[in-house]
Amino acid sequence: MALIDFEHVTKTFPGVVALEDVSLCIEQGELHAICGENGAGKSTLMKILSGVITDYEGTVRVRGNPIRFRGTKDAEAAGISIIHQELNLVEQLSVAANIFLGREFHRFGFLQQRRMDQAAAALLAELECDFDVRQRVAELRVGDQQLIEIAKALSLDSDILIMDEPTSALTEAEAERLFRVIERLRRRGVTILYISHKMDEIFRLADRISVLRDGRLVATRRKEETSPREITHLMVGREIEATQFAGRTRGELLLEVRNLSLPWPGHARRWRLRNISFTLHRGEILGIAGLMGAGRTELLECLFGAAREPFEGQILLRGRHVYFRHPIEARRAGVAMVTEDRKRLGLFSQMNVRENVTIAHLTRLSRAGIVGKHSEEQAAGSVVQRLAVRTPSLRTAITALSGGNQQKCLIGRWLLTQPDVLLLDDPTRGIDVGAKAELYRLMDQLARQGLGIILTSSELPELLTVCDRIVVLAEGRLTAEFSREEASEHKIMEAATLGALEPSDD
Amino acid sequence: MNLSPRDRKAVGSSRRLMWLGLQSNEWMLAAAVVAVVVLSAILDVHHTYWNNPRLSALDIARQTAFLGIFALGAAVVIIAGGIDLSAGSMIAFSGTICATLMVLMAPDVMSNPHQLVGGKLVERPLGWQVISVAIAGTLLVGFLIGTLHTWLITVVGLPPFIATLATLVGLRSLSRAICESVTQAVYDAKSTQIQIFDPAFRYLATSVWIPVLIFLLLAVLLGILLRATVIGRHIYALGGNEQAAVLSGIRTDRVKWLAYCLGSVTSSIAGILYIGDQSVADPQTLGRGYELNAIAAAVVGGCSLQGGVGTVPGTVLGALFLRCVIDGVAKIIKTGADVYEGQIVGVVVVIAVAFSQFRRGVRQGRQIFPGAMGVFALVALSLLAAVLAMLMAEQMARFVPGAQNLDARGTGMSLGLLVLVLLAGWKWYESRGR
Repeated sequence: MALIDFEHVTKTFPGVVALEDVSLCIEQGELHAICGENGAGKSTLMKILSGVITDYEGTVRVRGNPIRFRGTKDAEAAGISIIHQELNLVEQLSVAANIFLGREFHRFGFLQQRRMDQAAAALLAELECDFDVRQRVAELRVGDQQLIEIAKALSLDSDILIMDEPTSALTEAEAERLFRVIERLRRRGVTILYISHKMDEIFRLADRISVLRDGRLVATRRKEETSPREITHLMVGREIEATQFAGRTRGELLLEVRNLSLPWPGHARRWRLRNISFTLHRGEILGIAGLMGAGRTELLECLFGAAREPFEGQILLRGRHVYFRHPIEARRAGVAMVTEDRKRLGLFSQMNVRENVTIAHLTRLSRAGIVGKHSEEQAAGSVVQRLAVRTPSLRTAITALSGGNQQKCLIGRWLLTQPDVLLLDDPTRGIDVGAKAELYRLMDQLARQGLGIILTSSELPELLTVCDRIVVLAEGRLTAEFSREEASEHKIMEAATLGALEPSDD
Repeated sequence: MNLSPRDRKAVGSSRRLMWLGLQSNEWMLAAAVVAVVVLSAILDVHHTYWNNPRLSALDIARQTAFLGIFALGAAVVIIAGGIDLSAGSMIAFSGTICATLMVLMAPDVMSNPHQLVGGKLVERPLGWQVISVAIAGTLLVGFLIGTLHTWLITVVGLPPFIATLATLVGLRSLSRAICESVTQAVYDAKSTQIQIFDPAFRYLATSVWIPVLIFLLLAVLLGILLRATVIGRHIYALGGNEQAAVLSGIRTDRVKWLAYCLGSVTSSIAGILYIGDQSVADPQTLGRGYELNAIAAAVVGGCSLQGGVGTVPGTVLGALFLRCVIDGVAKIIKTGADVYEGQIVGVVVVIAVAFSQFRRGVRQGRQIFPGAMGVFALVALSLLAAVLAMLMAEQMARFVPGAQNLDARGTGMSLGLLVLVLLAGWKWYESRGR
C-alpha cells in the first residue's frame, strides 16, 4: 500500500492553474524527488500535503485514509513536516526555543527550560551538529538554521519529511552534511519528499523521481531507469537553444564598476560586497551567478541607488562618475531595475495593469501635474502590445494576471523610462516555462537594440543560455568571470562555493 | 486579445461598478445615509426632519463640514499608508494659536470686546488684518506640525502611530501652557481659555455657507489631487506598497510630507472654525477625541488602514453618514448629541467595517464566532446591545412625550435577549456547517 496517495488534485489561483489533475503515489520509506521548473507546481503540491493550502480539488490519502488538513497543525499530527525554502524560525529566540515553539515543555504554565535544552541537544547530536542550544538562531549560519528545522521535525516524530530545495543556500560542505543527515533519517525509516531541480543531488539521493511541468505530472521514473538528460528534458518540455541568443555585437562601454564595497554593520563578515569590479557594454547581457546570500541583489541595489548603506568605490556610467542616492536619480540617468521579489518589491496589488505599468513614467505623461488620461492609456497599451502581455484589458487588476505576465508588466514599467542599463534581479522566478522563453527572447531583443542588461538568476542553465558573460559572486566577493564559451555549470558552481580566489585584504 | 473563460472571470471580478464617479460601496453608503435620515424622521416623535427640513439640513451640513474638513486630511494620510492620531489635539492647538495671535495683536479688543455705540452695547471689531494674520499664522503652524510628524517618521524612524500619539498628548498640554502664559503675560491674569467675540471672525464658522464651501472646495481639490494628478497616484502607490514605490523612483519622503501636512493643516482649518463656532478657545475641551471621528469617517467611507485604498467621495459620504447617525439618535432620544457621540461612532465603525469584512469572510466560509472566544464575543455584543437599549429607553422615557411608560429595564433586557438569540442562532448555523 502506498503511504501517500494524491488523486486527481487540482488547485487554481486567480489567473493561474497551479496544479491540474495530479495523481501520484509515495511509497513507505522511499526518497521521492519532485522536480520541475519554477512555477511547475512543486511547492503547491507540497503545501497541500503539509496543510498550508486547504482549498483544492481532489483527494489526498495518507496510509490509505483520505485526509483533509485544516492547517499545518493537522499535518504535523499526521506525522508530516515540511522544511520550507524560506526558513520559519524566530530569529530572536534560542535554538531550543525554536525547536519546541508552540509545544514547550511546561509544568503549570511555567517553562521547563532545562528539559527543553537537554532534549534539543539530544536531537541535534543525532544530526551530528554541535552548537549551543541556547544560542540565538540569528547568530547561526543558514545551513545550521536548516538543521534546526530538521530537528524540529524529528521532535515531532514526523515520519514524512518534505524538503523544499534544501541546498539552495548551502555551501558544498554544508550540503554534504545535509546529505549525511538525510541518510541517517532514511535509516530511521523516514519517508522523504525532496524538491529540487539540481540533477546531481536528485540522482545521488532519490529512489524515484517525479517531474511536474506547468502544473501537470509529466512522469514518474525509478532512478535506475532514467538519466539526468531525460529528466531535464521532461522538466523543460523542449530545449531552449542557446545558439539563438549568441552572436550579438558588443557595443561601446556603458557601465564600469570599480572596487565597489558595501559595508555590513554589525555582521561578522563586515562587508556585504567587497572590491567588486566589472564592466558592461551596450548590446551585452551580463550574468551574475552566486548562491543565496552571495550579494547579487545587494550589488544591483548599489547600481540602482537603493543600497541600504552608503557604499565605497566608483561607478562610471557612460564614462562619468555617478553615485545614486535614490532610485529616481538612477532612473533619470537611464538605469532601470526589475526587482527580485515581485509581490513584495514590485507590484502595487491594489492597482490595475495600466497604473502598474505607468507608475515610473507618470511625470512624463502629465501636464502641470495632471495625468493625461489618453497618453497614459496609450503608453500602457503600447507596452502591453510590445511585450505581448496577456491581459483582458488595461483596467484588469494586476493580481489577476499570471506570474509571467505580471513580470512582463514590471519590465514594461521600466522600458517606458527608456533606460540604457536594465538590471534584472532573478526575473524568471516563479513563472512558467513558456513565459520564460518569451522573456529570454525579449532580453535578447532589447540587447540587440543597444541596451546593456545585467541579469541575476538562481538557475545556472538560464544564465548559460542568455548571457554573453557571467561573473560569479561568493560571500560578497567576485570570484570568477567567464565568457559564454568558457562558462559551464560546473565551473560556476566551483567559483560560487569555493570562496574567494584572491586572498582577503582585511 | 484572446481570452480564456478564466481570464474573463477575472475581468468581471476586478471591474468595479462606477456611476457618477462613485464606486458600488459608496452608493451603498449613500443609500445608508438616506435610510438613516428617513428612519430618524419617522422615529422622532416631533418629526423634526419632516416639519423643518431646511433647518435640519443646514445643521447637518454644517456639522458634516466641520468633521469632513479634517476627516479628508485623515483620509489622505490613511491612503498614504500612515495614520494621524493627533487631529483632536491639533484642533485644540490651532484654535489656541489662532486666539493667542489675536490676543497678542489686539490685546485691548480681546479683553474688552464690547463698546457702547449710541447707547447700545456692540462687539468691537478686531479688523481684517488681525484676523487674516491670525488665520495665516495658524495654518503655518499646521504646516510645521505636519513637517514635524514627517521628520519624526522618516528621519527619526518612529512608527506613525507613535509619532502622532506623542503630538496627540503633547500638543494639548502645550496648548494649555501657551494659553495660560500668554494671558498671564498680556493681561497679568492667568486664564485657561480665550474668548472671541469678533462678529466677522465668528461669522466664518456660524454662517452655514462658509464652512460648507470650505469643505466642498477642499473635497474637490483633494479629489482632483488623488484621482488625476501624479502626486495622487504616488500617494496610492506609497500606501499600497512603500518599498515598491521607492524602487519605482518615487520620492516617498516628499509624498509623506505632503500627506501629513494635509492631515495637520486640515485640522488647523477645523480648529479655526471651531473656536469661531464656540466663540471661545478652550484648549482643555476643544476637539477632544475628534481624531477618532476623523479616522472613523475615513474608514466608514472605504479607506483601508493598510493603505492604498480610499477615495474623497467615500470620505465625504463617511462624514455625512456619521453626522446623520449622531444627529438622528439625538433627535430620537431628545438629548444632547455629545453624550452618545462616542458610543455611536464606535458602533457605526464596527458595523461598517464588519459589514465589508464579513461579506468577504462568510463567502470564504470563515466563522464569525469561532470557538470559546466566539461564545464570549456574542455574549459581549448582546450585553452591549442591552445596555445601549436600556440607556436610550431611559432617556426617551424622561424626555420624549408619549414615551413615559417605556420600561427601560424591560426594553434593554428583551432587546439584549433578542440579539443573543439571533447571534447564538448564527453561531449554531455556522458551526453546524463544519
